[in-house]
Amino acid sequence: MSNQPNVFVVDDDQAMRNSLKWLIESVGMKVETYSTADEFIRNYYPGRAGCLLLDVRMPGMSGLELQEHFLKHQINIPIIIITGHGDVPMAVRAMKSGAVDFIEKPFNDEMLLESIRNALNKDIEQRATQAERAEIATRLANLTPREHEVMEMVTAGKSNKDIAQSLGVSAKTVEAHRSRVMEKMQADSLADLVKMAVTANIESNSDDS
Amino acid sequence: MSKRFSLPKKLGAWLLGYFRRVPMTLLSILVGLACGGLVWAVLDQVQPKALRDIFAEELQTRLEQQARETLIRFENYVGAHTSTTRLLANHRSLSTYLDPIYWFDLDVNEPLVHFAPPPWLPATSLWRTLVEPGKILLIDRKGRTREVYNLDLRLLPQELLVVDGRFLSESRVQAFLTTLSGRPYLLISEVAEDGTGTNMGYLMMAVPLDSEFLLASQQSVSSSGVLVGIIDADEQRFLSSSDPKAVPAGTKMEQAGKDFVVTAQSFFQYEGSVLNMQFATLVPRSSLEATRQRVEVVERRQRLVAATTFIAVFTLVFYLLSERLNRILRRISLFSRRALGRRQPILEKGNQIYVLEDWIKQFIGNVLTAREEMRREHETKMKQSEAIQQAILAAALDPIITIDRKGKIIEFNSTAEKVFGYQRDDVIGLLFVSLIISAEDNPQFSRMLERFDTDATREELEVRGEMVALRGDNSRFPVEVAIKLIQLPLKEVFTVYIRDISSRKRAEEMITSLAKFPTESPSPILRVNRPGVIIYANPASAPLLSYWECEQGQKLPLYWRNRVVNVYDSGYDWESEVVVGKSIYSLLITPVAGLNYVNIYGHDITAVRRAESEAREYQQELIHVSRLSTMGEMATGLAHELNQPLSAIANYASGCVRRLPAGTKGADELIYALGQINSQADRAGEIIRRLRRLVGKQLPVRSVADINSLVKEVCSFVEFEARRTSVVIEQELSMERLQVRVDVVQIEQVLLNLIRNALEALLEVPEKSRSLVVRSGYQGSGNVRVDVVDTGPGIKSDVAKNLFEPFFTTKESGMGMGLVISQTIAKDHDGRIEADPIAGVGSRFSLILPAYDHLEENRL
Repeated sequence: MSNQPNVFVVDDDQAMRNSLKWLIESVGMKVETYSTADEFIRNYYPGRAGCLLLDVRMPGMSGLELQEHFLKHQINIPIIIITGHGDVPMAVRAMKSGAVDFIEKPFNDEMLLESIRNALNKDIEQRATQAERAEIATRLANLTPREHEVMEMVTAGKSNKDIAQSLGVSAKTVEAHRSRVMEKMQADSLADLVKMAVTANIESNSDDS
Repeated sequence: MSKRFSLPKKLGAWLLGYFRRVPMTLLSILVGLACGGLVWAVLDQVQPKALRDIFAEELQTRLEQQARETLIRFENYVGAHTSTTRLLANHRSLSTYLDPIYWFDLDVNEPLVHFAPPPWLPATSLWRTLVEPGKILLIDRKGRTREVYNLDLRLLPQELLVVDGRFLSESRVQAFLTTLSGRPYLLISEVAEDGTGTNMGYLMMAVPLDSEFLLASQQSVSSSGVLVGIIDADEQRFLSSSDPKAVPAGTKMEQAGKDFVVTAQSFFQYEGSVLNMQFATLVPRSSLEATRQRVEVVERRQRLVAATTFIAVFTLVFYLLSERLNRILRRISLFSRRALGRRQPILEKGNQIYVLEDWIKQFIGNVLTAREEMRREHETKMKQSEAIQQAILAAALDPIITIDRKGKIIEFNSTAEKVFGYQRDDVIGLLFVSLIISAEDNPQFSRMLERFDTDATREELEVRGEMVALRGDNSRFPVEVAIKLIQLPLKEVFTVYIRDISSRKRAEEMITSLAKFPTESPSPILRVNRPGVIIYANPASAPLLSYWECEQGQKLPLYWRNRVVNVYDSGYDWESEVVVGKSIYSLLITPVAGLNYVNIYGHDITAVRRAESEAREYQQELIHVSRLSTMGEMATGLAHELNQPLSAIANYASGCVRRLPAGTKGADELIYALGQINSQADRAGEIIRRLRRLVGKQLPVRSVADINSLVKEVCSFVEFEARRTSVVIEQELSMERLQVRVDVVQIEQVLLNLIRNALEALLEVPEKSRSLVVRSGYQGSGNVRVDVVDTGPGIKSDVAKNLFEPFFTTKESGMGMGLVISQTIAKDHDGRIEADPIAGVGSRFSLILPAYDHLEENRL
């Protein structure tokens, strides 16, 4: 996150590329341009902050194909699709594949820049979430299996008594586990813990998928 | 008298006859032999004599030379003896010997003879090498010989017992020539003194001039047989010679002269000689004679060769000449046999010249005979021809009537009898004009007759005229009358030939009516001669004549005159169209073979042309509509195409707007952006221009263009569509310019159609196997070809045959007019479109157009 976010422009039309660079740089953002999707893939590595401005129709790998490529490789860079002719099926497909926005040429500069800002914000957000999730995962790793069990049950909304009964231990023991879990997970409140569990669950869910 | 001469005459005739039978070849050989022999004989007489003279002269020269040489040698030899004598006389051994001796005058003893070398001589080796003395004597002062050294062992001649004082030299050594006892001697004496210088007497060397001496004197003489000798000049005989066998002593000069040539020289040095002795040199005749004979033999052989050659050449020349003559004679004989039909009774053999003479005589005789025969034949023929003429006259198909100067009939042939219905005997003597010619034509006939009075060439003159004749039954019919003058020896008559021309008149009328045929034609028909003068123009050609601004009998305008000449000279038809007012005429100029003019056939094709032009307009309209519909289909693509530059412009402009308030950036950056805006605006403008050109309705204009540039243009036009299809159009264009003369917009439309069809076809196959190639190049020399090759599904065979049918389509959208219109456009450019399914996958559509040939352009 130390690096400044980049706006990556992929368009086969040189005039479009250059003019977009000129426009976006006017608001002080850094811009990198590529003429094909392949070229971009070669130069990009996950973790580079920024967003991607993508012309949907290009010779070689098309915009939609690039999106598929990202999904497959779990690359979460926010994508803004630019199209010359807004056909609805394509827009739907792009959005389904995770594009953050869909802009039709010729476009309003304000709209474009706003969209870019949003996308960059989303990138920051995504990165923050990802960091948080990593933290929670670390804490979860410190729990013992019993504690883990207890935490799952607590966050599922079960009472101490129920937990004790299902685990076959005393309520007091459950209480002790619970406080240990809260301590280890650095949760201030039960709500906090639940939130962490949800975050972790998303991660585990995504792992499963 | 006659009897006296008859014999030689007979003999002469017999000889001549014999001579005539001798062929020239043989004669030539004989003459050649005779002449050769004669030449040889004469030469044989003349040449040896000349040769002998030459040799005699040579001999003389040689003799003189030899004589001088031999004499000099002889004298040298004598000189050697003289020197020796002096040596001996003055030698010490003699003076020593004489010292104690004293010869008494009265002492008359026989001289003392030594056979061995005496003591008063020095050693023999000292002096014997050079000389050959006979004897050496010591003689006292009174002349008496006291001592003798006898070297030749002969008896001392009496004359030397007391030597004559003349032979004794007083002061110096001296040689004398003399005869002693009939033999020639050389005597050389020198005073002998004793040791005290007292004169004791003389020492004398007596040398017989014999053959040995003479031989020795001529030691180095060549072996050519030259002899020397001593002659007694008074008695003319030899005293001695170097070869006593050949010339013994005492031989007379004359005798020696037989075998030798002799010359005698006197010994002028030996005055003391008491005899008249001479030195003789003898050159043998035999040596020269042999040479002379050899030369003569060679010479004779040469003469023989010359004579033989002469005979051979002479004979050959005559032989060739006679052969030639023989051939001529043979040919003449053949000729006379063929041409005159007579066998020339010529002598086949014998002397050709006589034969020729005979032949000429016979030939002249033959010619005379032949001429006589011809004359006779001619006369017969004349008679016959007269009879034939009469028969012809009678049998002539036309009436022939002979009249005299006054016009009275003097002959009336049988045809005339039949035609006019008169009997010959009835009409003889009647006036021709009133009998045969109709009254109204009488003056014309009279005028025709009168022409013979005035015309200078009246004998060749033939006067013709057409008039009406009357038959016996007063019926009339048209005739052609020809009058010819016949000059008879006594008078002039006229032959009148009459021909019935009723049928000809009918034919002429027919032709006249046929001639009216073109006049009735509704289309213009003209006849023009080579210089361009209108010979004939039918009434329907009036509009053309007014267009050309000329009339019948006048010349055509220059352009058309040139066309007429071209057609006439080339012999080929020429077709053209002219617009006369509102009408269009098609003109065909055709040469009329053999005659000096051409025909021009016109045809009003206004209606046809109008229909054609209307059809063309409809076609143009259809093409335009098709283009518009294509454009409609391409609108989306075009919109996107236009979107690109517009978006870019918007981006640059917004960027500038955002930068300007900040004011931190330099003006350079803004200028860059503005420049970009400019170029993008141009790009947008170009797209719109292109669009307008394709859509806009333009008049069809042909211009010369490189088809490669058209292909590039069209490819850029469909670039967007291609991209949408994920196809990159590969352009495999010819490196050289492919010039065509076309309506650029229409051909672009065709190319657009073909490429778009291909792109659409490619949509039906997976993206990976999509490929589109546009290829251009020459096809043969005269055509240019553009192939559009795709890897689409190809053309099915049932589709292929309907490919160019209107409203046939395999597509869901579209009218099915694209290929039809493309084909129409191509054909309009004298080209075509071909469709081939490619083996494997895909199809190929080709546009083939005639290549533009600037030379052809010049020709048009």
